[in-house]
Amino acid sequence: MSEPLLRVSNLTAGYNGVQAIRNLSFEVGPGEVVALLGPNGAGKTTSLLAMVGLLPLIGGEVHALGERVDTRRPHQLARRGVMLVPDDRGIFFGLSVGEHFRLARRKADPVRQEQVLERFPALRRLTARKVGLLSGGEQQMLTIAKAILARPKVLMIDEMSLGLAPKIVQEMLPSIRDLAKEEGIGLVLVEQHIELALSVADRGLILNHGEVVLDGAASDLLARREQVEAAYFGVEDRVEVDAEVLPS
Amino acid sequence: MTTYLEFAVLGLGLASVYIGLSTGLLLVYRSTGIINFAQGAMAMWGVYVFATLYDDGLLVLPVGSVQLGDEMALWPAILIGLLNAAALGVVAHYVVFRPVRHAPDLAQVVVSIGLMVTLQALAVIRFGPNNVPVESIIPRGEITFLGADLAKRELLMAATMLVVAALVWAYLRFTYSGAATRAASENERGAVLMGFAPDRLALVAMVMGAVVSTIGVMLGSTLTGLSPANYTLMVVPALAVLLVARLESVAVAAVASIALGIFQSELSLIATKSWWPVWAKSGLDQVVPFVVIMIILFVLGKRLPSRGSLHSVRLPDVAVPRFRLVPTLVLVGVAVVALFVSNDTYRFGLTSSLIVTLLALSYVVITGYLGQISLAQSAFAGAAGFALAKLTEQWNMPFPLAIVLCAVVASLLGMAVSLPAFRIRGVQLAIVTIAAALAIERFVFGNYSLTPPTGNPIADPELFGASFAIREGRDLARIEFSLMVLAVVTLMILMFVRVAKGDTGRAFLAVRANERAAASAGIDVRRTKLMGFGLSAFIAGVAGCLLGYSHGQLSAESFSVVVGLQVLAMAYLGGITSFGGAIVAGMLGPLGLVYTALHQWFEMGNYYALITGIGLIVTAILNPSGIAGQTRMQIGWIRDHTGGGARRAPKPPPDDGRAVDPGAGSERKEVAGRA
Repeated sequence: MSEPLLRVSNLTAGYNGVQAIRNLSFEVGPGEVVALLGPNGAGKTTSLLAMVGLLPLIGGEVHALGERVDTRRPHQLARRGVMLVPDDRGIFFGLSVGEHFRLARRKADPVRQEQVLERFPALRRLTARKVGLLSGGEQQMLTIAKAILARPKVLMIDEMSLGLAPKIVQEMLPSIRDLAKEEGIGLVLVEQHIELALSVADRGLILNHGEVVLDGAASDLLARREQVEAAYFGVEDRVEVDAEVLPS
Repeated sequence: MTTYLEFAVLGLGLASVYIGLSTGLLLVYRSTGIINFAQGAMAMWGVYVFATLYDDGLLVLPVGSVQLGDEMALWPAILIGLLNAAALGVVAHYVVFRPVRHAPDLAQVVVSIGLMVTLQALAVIRFGPNNVPVESIIPRGEITFLGADLAKRELLMAATMLVVAALVWAYLRFTYSGAATRAASENERGAVLMGFAPDRLALVAMVMGAVVSTIGVMLGSTLTGLSPANYTLMVVPALAVLLVARLESVAVAAVASIALGIFQSELSLIATKSWWPVWAKSGLDQVVPFVVIMIILFVLGKRLPSRGSLHSVRLPDVAVPRFRLVPTLVLVGVAVVALFVSNDTYRFGLTSSLIVTLLALSYVVITGYLGQISLAQSAFAGAAGFALAKLTEQWNMPFPLAIVLCAVVASLLGMAVSLPAFRIRGVQLAIVTIAAALAIERFVFGNYSLTPPTGNPIADPELFGASFAIREGRDLARIEFSLMVLAVVTLMILMFVRVAKGDTGRAFLAVRANERAAASAGIDVRRTKLMGFGLSAFIAGVAGCLLGYSHGQLSAESFSVVVGLQVLAMAYLGGITSFGGAIVAGMLGPLGLVYTALHQWFEMGNYYALITGIGLIVTAILNPSGIAGQTRMQIGWIRDHTGGGARRAPKPPPDDGRAVDPGAGSERKEVAGRA
């Protein structure tokens, strides 16, 4: 296998010294799709923020495109092609769709813009419209479109399904997966919707309480549904943790 | 009618300055989220450089100067003036504003006040305190239109500034970095994730803002001349304009600037009419912006947009005070001994410190406990002081009752000013309160029909035949007065402790932390804010009365907005969330103990203000949450690590609900939280 685009080793991160994610390790190769799954508070978003340098690491290392992410500033990483689509979509309501395109592509790149618009034809007629006036689905399309426009090498998408109709998600996720395969983009999907995410991913990691509780090929995980659900809801794990730390 | 038209055109001169300052403020706000109270002072510096170059060819730098011939031609002088403004923008960005980008709003207000004080002091040192006339750079003359002789100069000034504003608008609207600046001002994290460096965008905007404002003041100074004070506070009407533009639109800001300039000019014409009441002639230039702000807030009623930020730091946690008899007695005892053993000069310094402590305590209540930035406390103090002059001289009101009544007057005023706080908060409330303070200062304190220029004498306090006058014969700082001040200050601090640890204090803290959560817990947020403003203005009012007694008579200068800002800044640095901060502010404050000591030991001259300003900036950058916040954390750490923490109350969890201690206990808390 070629050199991974993203290599996360023993990543530990959190807030005010409290660890929200501990010892997370995985790799993403070109064209590979990795799904990070887990319930609220599992540490998914924290991991992503740490991977793009928006949150300092408490422990471990993250290499993106062969370089440690903590040696670069977040905007420099984005320029090199390590892109995060955050859960608030990272869009600007006061700017028009066209202005988003312009900011995203940095230099004029009509071929790329045309490719992106072919993938999201609904955006074509909206270029002059302010983003605040778009529907949730259109906004999500724009978020993905602007990320792709910048020709990313590693793309991380946080909770794409949040606030979207399941039908839209079912259409968009495979489309993004195909693009990743075509262009060799390393894709990290953070999702709460297990089945949907695993259906497009090559590999899945299930997080709970800040730790990886299950890790495997997406097809295997889909086949072991019960185990996945147990890990997701963390029943066994919680009993174990409580037993360890409760005062004697 | 022709006269009205002529005055409308004359108003364009002032409007040009407003366009320059408000556009500069807008650029800085959109790129950094900071309201730069020093915008006027920054613009003034470049204009001073231009004026001295143009006049006698002397290039004045912050340190040293260079003679460049006898006098300089107009355009090179303008260019060098603007280059100086740009350089100041770069320095302000890197040295002053960048370090506090993510600090609490109040830290940003404090550094910009620090910068304002520094630049003003530096201007006094380098260019002198007096008004310098500036040669007109625009041809004079008149144009006849509809029978009116319209001033060509004002028309050209406004046209120039409209072109400048249009260029700024085009920058934000059409250029790549302009669009990125707009994007970052809305969602800074989103902009970073798209590969933009907000710091660089902020640098560009800061430099542009400084240059644009300097052009405005350059034009305006040819009408009014230049003094270290006149353009510094011009930032307040410009802020009013900025609120009209909802902190967003350059075009609206330009139109509002012109409207305000014309309106003020027409008002000055109307005020000359015989039917216009004499008492309403003074300070109209400041009252109008304040009224404009109030109308916008109440009639339009739209919530002003706030700026998206990457992350921010909260104000330090509040330590709920406890009454402890022994430390109280020790502190009071030390103060009594100090008052007895010191000579007149130091006794007066210490007494002034006690009074400033009280004024700073009012900031602690309103800002530290209730979380509302009020810049009007000195105005409340002033209102009480002037009421005291009337009550004691004209109506012979006896001593303790007069103080209480005057403080009630201040309290009512405070409640009136608090009304906008129902709708807005943070730095926008700071704008409203500074506008209110300036309006009160100019319209009431500086109004000769209300407060005669011959002075506002205040009768000496007496109780049961004992005199508490500050002076008697050759004794210039009587111990009786100082002890009375100490007693009043102690009483007020004890009252504060009582309130702070009771239900009202808890309600204040709840509102400070989260208004919605407070409301959902059954706290009446409006009533709480009203009480907070009332209480803090009451304390400020008592301080104003004591200040009045200590001076024997009052003038508007005693309660200027700038004095209030300095006290706030010092209280912030001392620790705005505890009365310890108020004590620090008292010691460092105007005419206080440190001031007295420094003036006794060194010939400070004009350098005291400069040192204060630089000190404020440096301290605010090093400790964005204030010295006391930092110190308290260190003391807590030491206690934790020496086993002395057993008696400490458990640390409340921070707002985001996460446990704080990374130590062994945290795991259990975290798991318990999950369960």
